[in-house]
Amino acid sequence: MWDAIITVFINVLLYIYDLLWNNFGLAIIFFTLLIRLITYPLNTRQMKSTQAMQELQTSEEWQKIQQKYKNDKEKLAQEQMRIYKEKGVSPFGSCLPTLIQFPIIIALYQSITRSLAVTPLQLLDLSKHITNGASLIPLNRDFLWMDLSQPERLYIFGFGLPLLAIVVAATSYLQTKLMTPTNPSGGSDQSAQMTKMMGLYMPLFMGWLAYSFPSGLAIYFITSNVASIVQYGLMGRLDWKNLLPKRSKVSE
Amino acid sequence: MKNKFILVTLTLIVLMISLSACAGGGRLAASGWPGITANGETAYISFNQHVYAVNLTNGLEIWRYPAEPDAKITFYAAPSLTENDQVIVGGYDNILYSLNVQNGNVNWKFEEATDRYIGSSLVSGDMIFSPSSDNDLFALNLDGQPVWTQPFVSKNSNWSQPTSDPNCECVYLASMDHSVHAIDPINGNGIWQSETLGGATVGTPAVSEDGKTLYIGTFINELVAIDTSNGNILWRFPTEGWVWASPVVDGDVLYFGDISGNFYAIDRNTQAILWNIQTGDDIVGTPLITDDGVYFTNEAGTLYALTKDGATRWTKNFEATLHTGPIATGDLILVATDESGLVLYAMDSEGAQKWMFSPSEE
Repeated sequence: MWDAIITVFINVLLYIYDLLWNNFGLAIIFFTLLIRLITYPLNTRQMKSTQAMQELQTSEEWQKIQQKYKNDKEKLAQEQMRIYKEKGVSPFGSCLPTLIQFPIIIALYQSITRSLAVTPLQLLDLSKHITNGASLIPLNRDFLWMDLSQPERLYIFGFGLPLLAIVVAATSYLQTKLMTPTNPSGGSDQSAQMTKMMGLYMPLFMGWLAYSFPSGLAIYFITSNVASIVQYGLMGRLDWKNLLPKRSKVSE
Repeated sequence: MKNKFILVTLTLIVLMISLSACAGGGRLAASGWPGITANGETAYISFNQHVYAVNLTNGLEIWRYPAEPDAKITFYAAPSLTENDQVIVGGYDNILYSLNVQNGNVNWKFEEATDRYIGSSLVSGDMIFSPSSDNDLFALNLDGQPVWTQPFVSKNSNWSQPTSDPNCECVYLASMDHSVHAIDPINGNGIWQSETLGGATVGTPAVSEDGKTLYIGTFINELVAIDTSNGNILWRFPTEGWVWASPVVDGDVLYFGDISGNFYAIDRNTQAILWNIQTGDDIVGTPLITDDGVYFTNEAGTLYALTKDGATRWTKNFEATLHTGPIATGDLILVATDESGLVLYAMDSEGAQKWMFSPSEE
């Protein structure tokens, strides 16, 4: 099953590569946008779930129970579940669509590295996945200053700057910030702390992936992040205020 | 929310492990199968992190290079031997090594390539021609010094061992740029570039005995014959799968396999199929033709011994993948499996095993 998915990914990538003047970097960008288009309903659902969840967590009722049961975790959890049920919001509604995308990332990563096939075993393995397009082999690995089969470094005066990793981390951070509504509680409750932590943790993790793995994957991340921001923007839900530094709350 | 956090964290860890596993620790892992060369007394095998010298009399290890594994050094290209006792082998670390045949000590290193060596070097007299994945073909003398002012540059990686022909003062290089190049060995200038083959090639071109024709397999399921006087394509023979390995010329017959598992014997004058066998698994190694008959391997781990008429003499399964073609040295036939580490088998022409060599772990 997994092999069949990889085979489909590789052949679609090769088809796009052939259409886009044998430019594998453009093929990855176009393929990512195609994946985003296919998973559009999933992404929209995730965004709406996230929005609903965050609206719920900023509601008066939610804030009240946080205060009321702050010393009784079990009761707090029961009350939270009750509110989720009443409002028809699933606590995993915003999470599961994201998790479903991880296999897509792994499949895309594998199809990129397998298509670029820089060793004999990789090339032999590739031969088992190509249905049409053997004449395109070997693929052009060059894109801008990058070798798509290697982790990216931009050499400036002999120093290898991981520019793409920085851009991946920055766009991931931007995405998180722009797509997370301001929490009026000022980030004092546990869930807001977790969201804040994930907002830092996730971009760093994505940046680490881009730093360590072939640059083709980083191109996927950047395209995907930018596409998410654009999609959210088209839904009119970007929260630009989140980019501004916040004043610390004066205790009343 | 806490559950969500744990779920996302676990998923990130799984993702990290999954990606790391496929990438071999973040970089594209060097991977291939054993390359074997022998000189009647010693077999030299390059595989993963070592080059091994093995005594052909008893299968015992004489030396290995490097003595201790170095994560930066791996080998795929079969070693080549010079007349003055050097073992020439290129590594995935972009370095061409000259090793002493007696003890494996490094004589010299050539470090001008910017990508890995996958194709073996051709040693012709006092010249070494080394193809690199960085699109270059380097020409060195036996001291490791460049002979040409500039390397010959093709338009894509060079994974196949060049070949030469005494009839022509030239070196033939089949490149991943979908063509074969004829090169002047004195100055590295191109003499001709063949018409496009239509697909990449990683095998070494076979030269007809009269030197007038080259034969090379391609990834677009063809075996192609090329006129050595000008690089024009004379004919194309369709196959069912990619032709990975080099064909072998024996009189008027061409022997070769493809990765759909077919092994062919065709008349090189008429392109008529004399016989063919479907083995059911990839044929990647170059066949061995001796006076006794035809030997070849397939990925399923079977060594086939046939007569030149295609009748099966015997087969032997090694229960491990076999990508490397068999080679003959003295009275022995050598094959090397690679599924769970290197195992080199030596047998006689009837398939009776004489010894096996499996390197000890450090």
